[in-house]
Amino acid sequence: MANLYVQAVPPTDMNRNTEWFTYPGVWTTYILILFFSWLVVLSVFGCSPGMAWTIVHLSHFLVTYHCFHWKKGTPFSDDQGIYNRLTWWEQIDNGKQLTRNRKFLTVVPVVLYLIASHTTDYQHPMLFFNTLAVFILVVAKFPHMHKVRIFGINADQ
Amino acid sequence: MSLWLNAQLKKLLVNYGSHISVLVAVILFMHMLFNPSKQTGSKAGTDLHQQVSNRRRGSLEFLREAPILCFSGRSIMITIPYLTALTTYFSYGLLFVFGQLRDFFRKIIDWWSQSSLQGYAPICLGLEDFYVRRLYLRIQDCFNRPISSPPDAWIDVVERVSKDNNKTLQRTKNVSRCLNIGSYNYLGFAAADEYCTPRVIESLKRFSPSTCSARIDGGTTTLHTELEQCVASFVGKPACVVFGMGYATNSAVLPALIGKGGLIISDSLNHNSIVNGARGTGATVRVFQHNIPSHLEKVLREQIADGQPRTHRPWKKIIVLVEGIYSMEGELCQLPEIVAVCKKYKAYVYLDEAHSIGAIGKTGRGVCELLGVDTAVVDVMMGTFTKSFGSCGGYIAGSEELIQYLKYTCPAHLYATSISPPAAQQIISSIKVILGEDGSNRGAQKLARIRENSNFFRSELQKMGFEVLGDNDSPVMPIMLYNPSKIPAFSRECLKRNVAVVTVAFPATPLLLARARICISAAHTREDLVKALEVRVLSCSY
Repeated sequence: MANLYVQAVPPTDMNRNTEWFTYPGVWTTYILILFFSWLVVLSVFGCSPGMAWTIVHLSHFLVTYHCFHWKKGTPFSDDQGIYNRLTWWEQIDNGKQLTRNRKFLTVVPVVLYLIASHTTDYQHPMLFFNTLAVFILVVAKFPHMHKVRIFGINADQ
Repeated sequence: MSLWLNAQLKKLLVNYGSHISVLVAVILFMHMLFNPSKQTGSKAGTDLHQQVSNRRRGSLEFLREAPILCFSGRSIMITIPYLTALTTYFSYGLLFVFGQLRDFFRKIIDWWSQSSLQGYAPICLGLEDFYVRRLYLRIQDCFNRPISSPPDAWIDVVERVSKDNNKTLQRTKNVSRCLNIGSYNYLGFAAADEYCTPRVIESLKRFSPSTCSARIDGGTTTLHTELEQCVASFVGKPACVVFGMGYATNSAVLPALIGKGGLIISDSLNHNSIVNGARGTGATVRVFQHNIPSHLEKVLREQIADGQPRTHRPWKKIIVLVEGIYSMEGELCQLPEIVAVCKKYKAYVYLDEAHSIGAIGKTGRGVCELLGVDTAVVDVMMGTFTKSFGSCGGYIAGSEELIQYLKYTCPAHLYATSISPPAAQQIISSIKVILGEDGSNRGAQKLARIRENSNFFRSELQKMGFEVLGDNDSPVMPIMLYNPSKIPAFSRECLKRNVAVVTVAFPATPLLLARARICISAAHTREDLVKALEVRVLSCSY
């Protein structure tokens, strides 16, 4: 089992910040991290499964919004700052819209929302926060929002 | 009525909510998996590296629909064990999270203490130094190790200690003698040589350590002219120009060769000097999948059909940049196929032989000799003297007209100091040794020894079960480590057992593919290699 090999075509992405996302195993790791964090939240807080899914969904919203749509640039200076105005979401796949990676990343918060709202039985305070979170995330990932900064939020000087 | 509807809806959702959510998720997944990704129109924003052209293209449209000839080169796929990929992603994610946490606390602490530089812009914007501060500094004792002897087969590595958990390192007076399998010392010229060193010392006395001048002012000595003739005849081209620094050769010559309105197509794993040179030209840069000539052909066809960005006029010039041996993979370039593709579409070929000149081929003349490609079809041949000749500097070899042109346009020739005379003499002497013109057959022995050593080491490593990249006959062999925690573990364990090895991680390599790179030298004896193999086994059996 441990010797199961996968083959990948070498990607042509020159941006080291986003190139790692084109290798095999990323989607599985992402889903496994979400699942294990649900287990960890359940064991730490001792709450109901629905509440745990809501917590996972909301912290996933905070983390992915910060990493994908807020932080701009790359964590190393080799590329001389050519991506300094672009968030990670705008950098992946060289800016091409509606690729498989982007579709996957758009589906994940929606599925999490459905699971969280179903397991909390669509009760009021959780449903509102969950819906707000998924709305913000999905709108941020629309192709029409590429390089758009609403009201100048997060724009450069 | 509406109340009843609401109640029914609530009942539906509560009873069948799980089914509906699963169904929706499955439908979305299927749609995404089985629908090819569509290109949106140009309204969705212009991309950095691709253009979407909506206008009618010219008469070259037919090229897109014509059948493409496919060369049957071997397809180079990256092979990764799946479980290792998952754990590597998880490790990097953990390191990233801890780094962000530490940054967050640092920001809180710094908010309390006032900075003395009020009103100045920050030196590093936002994220720029995150990788260096939070990932590289943790294991920085594995990199930048100072040495105190020539980089021969055995090397003196200065020991360092850290009192603050690797944030700063202090050198001690202790020195450990280690087996050196990290230096680019392919033919063993890095240490004192019985033919080269006396002549170098004599030229040091006759000329001086530096010419103190650019080539056009007072920096061209008889040594420089002799060197250029020697290198040109060694490489197999009519003329050659030599520069003082290998990195500067690439980054200063490319802007002189091509400018705005031209097209550069470079291999995706090219060295940083080539990438910087290409960026400095102002031409449009496109990338093709590493060492896959069919993808190069596809990119060429697409770009020739599209033309220049926005105006769609034909390109003024097309240059394809490839390397002889790729230093991170140890692979040879598929030169015959790539040259055939370039000839078909009338693109120039620029071959960077930094690692292959002097090290491969029957008489050491590089990848063209090994693969049987006539040097007349490669338009520009570039190389460096740091690897096989034990010196410094770089050269460009080509036709007489090309070299004449470079001599009056290239800034590295016009303004940079010329190559140091003793370094030039070292190159001339080492070329004479390689060609056997010094009267002995040491050159042929060295070439045979490096080939034997590389093949022996590579086969032994593969027998032991290591994942080794690279082709046969290539003196560079990376051992895959994948996991970020293995990099410092391997490096430190090897140093404890007196073997100095170079480990490379992200961002010099792709995220998943961290490796330890081994460079075999003709100066290594069989016992040295056997010791290195034993150390490998011991350090990896933890």
